[in-house]
Amino acid sequence: MTRRHFPLWTLLGVVLVVALLAGGGAFSSSPPTEAQRVAAIESKIRCPSCEDLTVAVSSAPTAVTVRATVSHLVAQGQSDQQVEDYLVSRYGSAIVLDPPTSGWSLLVWVLPLVGGLVAVAVLVAVLVRRRRGDVDLDADVRGTQVDPEVVEERRRFLTQSLADADAEYLAGDLSDADYLALRQRDLGRLAALGPAPGVPSRGAPSGGAPSGGAPSGGVPGGGVPGGTPRAPAGAVGTTTLTVPDAPASASGVAASATAADPAVESAGTLRARRARNRWFLIGAVACFVVALIVAVPVFTSRRLPGQTATGSIQLSPSQQVTRTLDQAATAENEGQLGLAAQLYQSVLSGHPDNEAALAQLGWLEYQIGRSGSSSSLITQARADLARAALLVPDDYAVHLYQGTILFEQDGNAPAAVDQYRQFLADAPPAAVRSQAAATVRAAFTQAGEPVPAGVPTA
Amino acid sequence: MTLPAPTGTTPPPASDGPADEPAAAAGAPPPARFTPPTRHTARWAALGVLVVAAGLIAVLATRPPATVAEVQSPLVGHLAPPVRGVTVDGRAFALPRAPGTYVVVNFFASWCVPCQEEGPELVKFAFEHDRPGDPQLVSVVFDDSTADARTYQATLGATWPTLADPRGTTALTFGVRAPPSTFLVAPDGRVVAYIIAPVTASDLDTLIAQARASGA
Amino acid sequence: MNGTLGHTGVLLGFVASLVGMAVLVVGLVRHRPGQLRSGRLYAPLILLGGVVAVFAMQRALITHDFSLTYVADNNSRSTPLLYSITGMWSALAGSILLWGVILGGYATAMVWRFRARAADELVAWATLVMYAVAAFFFGLMLGPADPFTRVTGRVLADGLGPNVLLQDNPLVLFHPPLLYLGLVGFTLPFAFAVASLVTGRLDDDWQGETRRWTLFAWTFLTVGIVLGAWWSYQVLGWGGFWAWDPVENASLLPWLVGTAYLHSVMVQQRRGLLRVWNLSLVIATFSLTILGTFLTRSGVIQSVHAFSTSSIGPLLLGFFGLVLAVGVGLIAWRGDRLRSPGGIDSPVSREGAFLANNLLFVLFAFVVLLGTVFPLLYEALHSGAQVAVGAPYFNRLVIPLGLALLFLMAVAPALPWRKSSTEVLRGRLAVPAALGVLAVVVCVLSGIHGIEPLLAFGLGAFAAASAGRALVLSVRGAWRTARAAGQPPVRAALAGWRGLVGRANGGMVVHIGVVLIAVGLAASTAFGQRGTVVLARGKTGSFAGHTVEFVGTRIVRTPSHLSQEALLRVDGGAVFTPAISQFGTGTQAVGTPAIDSSLTSDVYLTINRIPDQGAAWTFGVVVQPLVMWLWIGGALVVVGSVLSAVPGRRRRPTDPVSAPVGAAAPPTEPDPSDPVPVVTGPVVTGPVVPERQPVGAGDAP
Repeated sequence: MTRRHFPLWTLLGVVLVVALLAGGGAFSSSPPTEAQRVAAIESKIRCPSCEDLTVAVSSAPTAVTVRATVSHLVAQGQSDQQVEDYLVSRYGSAIVLDPPTSGWSLLVWVLPLVGGLVAVAVLVAVLVRRRRGDVDLDADVRGTQVDPEVVEERRRFLTQSLADADAEYLAGDLSDADYLALRQRDLGRLAALGPAPGVPSRGAPSGGAPSGGAPSGGVPGGGVPGGTPRAPAGAVGTTTLTVPDAPASASGVAASATAADPAVESAGTLRARRARNRWFLIGAVACFVVALIVAVPVFTSRRLPGQTATGSIQLSPSQQVTRTLDQAATAENEGQLGLAAQLYQSVLSGHPDNEAALAQLGWLEYQIGRSGSSSSLITQARADLARAALLVPDDYAVHLYQGTILFEQDGNAPAAVDQYRQFLADAPPAAVRSQAAATVRAAFTQAGEPVPAGVPTA
Repeated sequence: MTLPAPTGTTPPPASDGPADEPAAAAGAPPPARFTPPTRHTARWAALGVLVVAAGLIAVLATRPPATVAEVQSPLVGHLAPPVRGVTVDGRAFALPRAPGTYVVVNFFASWCVPCQEEGPELVKFAFEHDRPGDPQLVSVVFDDSTADARTYQATLGATWPTLADPRGTTALTFGVRAPPSTFLVAPDGRVVAYIIAPVTASDLDTLIAQARASGA
Repeated sequence: MNGTLGHTGVLLGFVASLVGMAVLVVGLVRHRPGQLRSGRLYAPLILLGGVVAVFAMQRALITHDFSLTYVADNNSRSTPLLYSITGMWSALAGSILLWGVILGGYATAMVWRFRARAADELVAWATLVMYAVAAFFFGLMLGPADPFTRVTGRVLADGLGPNVLLQDNPLVLFHPPLLYLGLVGFTLPFAFAVASLVTGRLDDDWQGETRRWTLFAWTFLTVGIVLGAWWSYQVLGWGGFWAWDPVENASLLPWLVGTAYLHSVMVQQRRGLLRVWNLSLVIATFSLTILGTFLTRSGVIQSVHAFSTSSIGPLLLGFFGLVLAVGVGLIAWRGDRLRSPGGIDSPVSREGAFLANNLLFVLFAFVVLLGTVFPLLYEALHSGAQVAVGAPYFNRLVIPLGLALLFLMAVAPALPWRKSSTEVLRGRLAVPAALGVLAVVVCVLSGIHGIEPLLAFGLGAFAAASAGRALVLSVRGAWRTARAAGQPPVRAALAGWRGLVGRANGGMVVHIGVVLIAVGLAASTAFGQRGTVVLARGKTGSFAGHTVEFVGTRIVRTPSHLSQEALLRVDGGAVFTPAISQFGTGTQAVGTPAIDSSLTSDVYLTINRIPDQGAAWTFGVVVQPLVMWLWIGGALVVVGSVLSAVPGRRRRPTDPVSAPVGAAAPPTEPDPSDPVPVVTGPVVTGPVVPERQPVGAGDAP
């Protein structure tokens, strides 16, 4: 069964590592862009008038000022450290939320690391020491006078432990070898504890440890404070199960404690080897996990210092176009027409037939041309809009723009009315209709035509 | 939990066989008492925790409240940044106005309650120092609208210039986190004091006297 | 009148706790069971004192009795009724009152539940500790944190009103009381731990009681923390819900240590191990609640959530020191003698996994505590200089720990106790691991980058699949048992609900909730986008794939506040109204965000700037994916806790039982075992236990 599953787990492991490397960006490492640097710095600087927010997330006026300053300084060509130093020179060292790795503040980085090492050491100590043989339970009590309470507590623990092992084996949680090993060990310990005090001493303690151990150790159910129905079942079940591996009879379990040393020996070395293998596996997994824990912060910090959550969504080309168009529209709304025009042009350079960009660019060129009285721009605007109209004949925006240029620039009301009719026929949304209402009305009135029904009153 | 002392009625000790018994009964030294070898892990770990906790408590006990903790400004001892711009009344303004005088630069906001406590003290200070060569007073608006600041100053009866700082750049260059913050600038342009609490007129006089005495 | 009544209540509580302590001490020293029994009468008296004081305070607040300083500072005539009621815990003195009355409630619950065993020494010691803590808190209210001080001089006609951030969201009615129910609830397990150490009795049934009370308190603390995060999200306006603020950390610390305890106590109940460690965890949890109270109320650390400063700080610090001295001192004195005799058999076992889990949680708590107090430490070491520790530090250290915990959460439910064979483990983890890898691959293919989010999604899928597998097996087991018991098919199918209750299954539901929270955290912090949109009226802007249309504005005037609201239509759908509000006069205006939540993403809108003349308004927009998963995950965690408190089926004699160490009798509270899966090991033939059959998880009492 192990062989069959091996390829599956290797496959899973390989797929996982490849996916993580691909997703983590190992195949596409580029130096951080200016915007990324600004974002990284902003996520380390504290908002001066807030308590724990960084300037990256706060909308307080002081944060806005700091963000503007950071962008300005980075654009001027200063390094990340220089920008930080400037802010520290204004606000003091407590403005940086990432404590420096020098001087006393190194403690805040070192102490958790020390804590981690202590945790690993405790884990190893608890697990390794137990495996080397429980000092408590294996202490040699022969030749000494034993405190009954202590012995009683151990006896109870061991008998309960044996009963649990039986049940777990029945449930399929324990493998044969593990079950035998546990039983061997605990029965041996039980035997070493001596006879149970409540057991009527059969005269002198003849037969020594093994027979003394038999009544209490051989029948785990007997010692269990759980009632009799369990005892025979447990014993029967145990006996049945020990048949395959040891020459056992009803007292075979006790006998194997002292006799059958060779059997114990070989079984013991096999167990030891398996235990060693398992320990290596644990060690390997632990190393991997530790490496991961160390690698993740290093990994992320190399890419963007100070910013630990470095995820980003890589957009497909069409998503990128949509996003640039959105940005341009926002820029337009904010009145940054030049920036908006630039963004549209960048879309068109990659997708010359993107009608939306073309139309909006045309309109922008017209607006800029009109305010700057640049006739070349206006001509360009007309050309762009004409092309857009060819690409998508039923775009209401193109018709609206063309109509407005014809009306406002050329004073050509009839041609404008033509365009406006097509605009109305293209089912523009109500908001646009009401925005354009005044101009449309004026055009129709000037051309002497009745204003169509779809035009809302001003 | 005390372990009961062994009495004669306890069962005979576990032994390898009957052979040991006669030896034990025959006057051999009484067998050693077996107590489980206790590792004192819990004790040492607990003591360690107590020591660390004692240190932590000592540190926490000696901290002053954060609101009145001395916050040093890195500007103290260095040249003050320029204070330039437009006042709330729309006039241009730049420091230094009269060379060779001390300047008190005070950052305030109309919504700031301690500033309202500080206001009358500033009025008193300005009233007491109205001769040429006397220390001057300048207020800078912090994170507030110009209109509100103008109204506030007018209600206060401020007779000194109030600089508007709509983009917050002056506040940034001075490293102001919250109002009221007051800087004392010496005639040579260096910052000699920084107070992050409401000031009184006598506080300012004391500071100026100290600065003069130390040769600034 | 209100002041007098309040003082009477507080005095009653204080005196009752002192007298109760005295009676119990005499009873314990002189071994008089009758006195011990009479000691339990004082808990209801403490509760009564607290209730009277609360009644007096609420009456003063609702009737706007400004002769009390507290009411004058935290209430005004225009404050709505809801915020008058919540005014009781809006400031320091009132919050101590809330703490005291909840403590009285817990003390009463305890003496009532253990009324049959009141003569037991252990119960008496635990009650004594409860009375001592109550005496401290009621004593605080008689001294520095007196909520009923009278105004000196003229009584003003109107008060200042509550803090503006505490009166614009109804969550203020729920978060503090629920949080305190959690924090104060940890006093009881601490009392039992101290009693166990003093009497030297670690009987299993007392550990069961401790576990149950801790789970109860832990559930409320979880609710409190999640609600607190939600409230911050809705009110503070920066679009985030956790800023590693000292006050937030103060509530997180006991939660972390409490979660560690809830896991390691399973090792104790199952194998009898880690007894002293569990006692230490319980003591640590309570100590951290006191430390947290100190940090939030002493004023040594600035925080937006903190109460105002007062002289209560040194007293709280002194109490913290006392609690530590008593608890840790008892461990030092008694601990080694109470160790369990057994050991962990194999590192690859559930005990090993729980031990690793505990160490990770303790390390987590250590990192949070260190980061919170480090600025103070640094100032003490290097006087004059300051350093700030914030989100970048915490995120960098906490994310790897969280990922490791996710991994453990995936693996541990499949690990058997004692020792595991590789075949068993592989069989159980193959499908969940494959699902985890599949999740990573799907994310990478859909363009998601960033190693931390990918690891979080992959490990989260792994853990959720592992928990789901356990639940499926348990439900199937319940069906099988019902059918084997001869029930008709429909009823047998409905009996599958038994597979969802009980400690193990409730725990799996909690794990799924935690996975949802982890995934939501990873997605919203890694892929959130912030920006501003400047819009004139009627214009539409877009950001990060969402369109925002500025429809119009509105002014809302109520007696308590004046708001300027902006009406924004998001994605052509519903209209949301972020606002800027002014409460009372002369106070700073406060922004209120509006949130368009959906299962896939949240659009968080704020007004950044209103121009002086009617030009374009500046709006802040924050788009974060999967934020709703956080709240759903939190609700699922609470549901899982409640499910785990419902008792499962009666224990069968053949189920692995708790290893009762130090108890001669079988455990009176039989606890459910871990999920026992389908038998994959050797098939048992022959004269086997007749009742043995593959049983599902949660199959226990």
